[in-house]
Amino acid sequence: MTVVTVEVGDRPLRQINREIRALASTATEIVVTDPLSRHNLAVALTEDTPVRILGNVGYYCGGLNSGGVIHVEGDCGWGVGEAMARGKITIDGYAGMSVGASMRGGLIHIKGSAGPRCGVAQKGGDIVVEGNIGYLSGFMAHTGRIITLGDAGDATGDSLWEGAVWVAGDIKSLGVDSHPVEPPAEEVAEVEELLDGLGLADSTRDWKKVVSGQRLWYFESRDSSAWLMI
Amino acid sequence: MADDLSINDSPNGLSHEDLVALRDGAVDGRPAGIPTSYDHGESIRWTPKDIADIHAMSRLGRYQIRGFTTANRRMANWNDLVFVPATATRLPLEGYRESCDTKTVLGDRPGLVSNPIELDIPIYIASMSFGALSASAKAALGRGASKVGTMTCSGEGGMLPEEREASKTMVYQMTPSRYGLDLEHLRQADGIEIVIGQGAKPGTGGLLLGMKISDRVARMRSLPVGVDQRSTVRHPDFLGADDLLIKIEELREATDYRIPIFVKLGATRPRFDVAMAAKVADVIVLDGAEGGTGASPELLLDHTGIPTMTAIPAAREALEESGMSGEVKLVAAGGIRNGTDAAKALALGADAVMIGTAALMALGCNSPRYLEDYQKIGTSPGKCHHCHTGRCPVGITTQDPFLETRLHVDPAADRVARYLTAMTMEITMLAKACGKSSVHNLEMEDLRALSLDSSALTGVKLAGVDRPFTW
Repeated sequence: MTVVTVEVGDRPLRQINREIRALASTATEIVVTDPLSRHNLAVALTEDTPVRILGNVGYYCGGLNSGGVIHVEGDCGWGVGEAMARGKITIDGYAGMSVGASMRGGLIHIKGSAGPRCGVAQKGGDIVVEGNIGYLSGFMAHTGRIITLGDAGDATGDSLWEGAVWVAGDIKSLGVDSHPVEPPAEEVAEVEELLDGLGLADSTRDWKKVVSGQRLWYFESRDSSAWLMI
Repeated sequence: MADDLSINDSPNGLSHEDLVALRDGAVDGRPAGIPTSYDHGESIRWTPKDIADIHAMSRLGRYQIRGFTTANRRMANWNDLVFVPATATRLPLEGYRESCDTKTVLGDRPGLVSNPIELDIPIYIASMSFGALSASAKAALGRGASKVGTMTCSGEGGMLPEEREASKTMVYQMTPSRYGLDLEHLRQADGIEIVIGQGAKPGTGGLLLGMKISDRVARMRSLPVGVDQRSTVRHPDFLGADDLLIKIEELREATDYRIPIFVKLGATRPRFDVAMAAKVADVIVLDGAEGGTGASPELLLDHTGIPTMTAIPAAREALEESGMSGEVKLVAAGGIRNGTDAAKALALGADAVMIGTAALMALGCNSPRYLEDYQKIGTSPGKCHHCHTGRCPVGITTQDPFLETRLHVDPAADRVARYLTAMTMEITMLAKACGKSSVHNLEMEDLRALSLDSSALTGVKLAGVDRPFTW
């Protein structure tokens, strides 16, 4: 068991991330201290050595993650886990805009609430938000699941492709060409299984799954009025 | 005696109105008018195209979509500029004998990137996606570019293995849609191009119609097969210049400060946009309104953006004003057809040029073969702009497996290589005539403008009077 500490403070970012990447292949856990809301911490990790960050982080924490397991004991700024392919990111606090933007795989778990555009352009993987998600969450999400145990803001699921926004609470308003459906039992079971793994089991939730109406998927002359929605 | 007009009022039995009308072939039942004038209406406002456009919109219920490039005839024209080679007051180099350096380095901002890109020629292949282009076309461009020591760029659809394998040097494009964006692909790249906009449709995202969303294209973009894909124009996780700076830092961290970062802009307000981008990027790619595309709303092609040759001097001024000239490199693109256009772009202030449409022509785009297939899509060689349909008769802008077999990769790669060589020869011929031992020494003083417009728009001196047209 080798737990090593990387101090952030005002040291050069390049040095900090190089240390994290190098230690990821030797240590059993990396503890990152004094993060001072710095941007771009722990980006582009490929090893699954746990990285625990003690405090708030800025933009793009865990960006381009390809296998890293990151736990932020604080809040995070924009684009946490953006373009993530594999791995897991946990945020104990709140998250800013564009959680998991364009992510392709892995899991992002926000224990607080997430800002607008949560899961924007998502292309796979799962985002679980214990609190609320902001406006335009799921905007143009291709595939994957955005799951909130709280409420969803305005324009939820705007212009979706095949992604889905799962909402246990209330939806303030739906986005263009999206609508809620009652999810099939087997899909609910899969979501509950995922939540169970995070210690969030509760079989009494009333799920709404927001999906695309597919009216904007095609330029269709017989339905040209659909384009007036946007 | 006064003439009695009534006497011959009706010679041959014709009425007064018949006589006024001259009976020149009037058709019974048609409204009054001189019949031949129906063929020559030619209102400058209601042209046959404008009328046909209304008919098309009233059928489709949407704007028209097509590929290729602008049809706006008022775009400033490279032909309005000429070189003024060395004569008595400047010494030319021997055009057929002496050498002229064409080496081009991008991303050599001091102390930032460990592996700047070194190209043998000042021209490279523009970003065009797999999806817009067939895999064979991408591979042929890569092989052709590699043969002459230059590079390609992935385009929006992600990194195609065939292109990466074929391209000695390759820039990976990060568009707002982020299709297939992958750390491994970033690390395989020799440069990263962040797209803020493109010349063909600045301010609007990419477009790929369902006919071209094949299984493979859909898989690479995580899209349902056959949908009309309309990409975002804003990036999902940054908005303004401050955020862009942080995003670039992330990419530099992910690639360990090894490869340069390009920022691609559609030419609209180059003075301001370039000044901003110069603060954060290693290379700025400025794509003028003549830039081509596989598909776009037609109105954007024809009515948005400013011409390439007007954008370059403005961009160069912005670099000078921000003190980044020489450090941040400027790549110009959009409507460059040959070495002459490229040389003019370099003289106006570009460090390199990027060619897209011209490279497709070298592959065989619009070549006079498979005439019946051109006819099927309502066009003919030399006029085809049907990239958006995916029915490319010569296998370049298609995902149809049968049509794609018509592009033979090796010969096509040779055509691209020879064309790039010929272009480079044209550039050096002009540079040497102007007395320059490097193509990068071409300057605005080597040019003169043939029209008031082109002088006013570029700042190039008017031919003869040797002063730029100002007001």
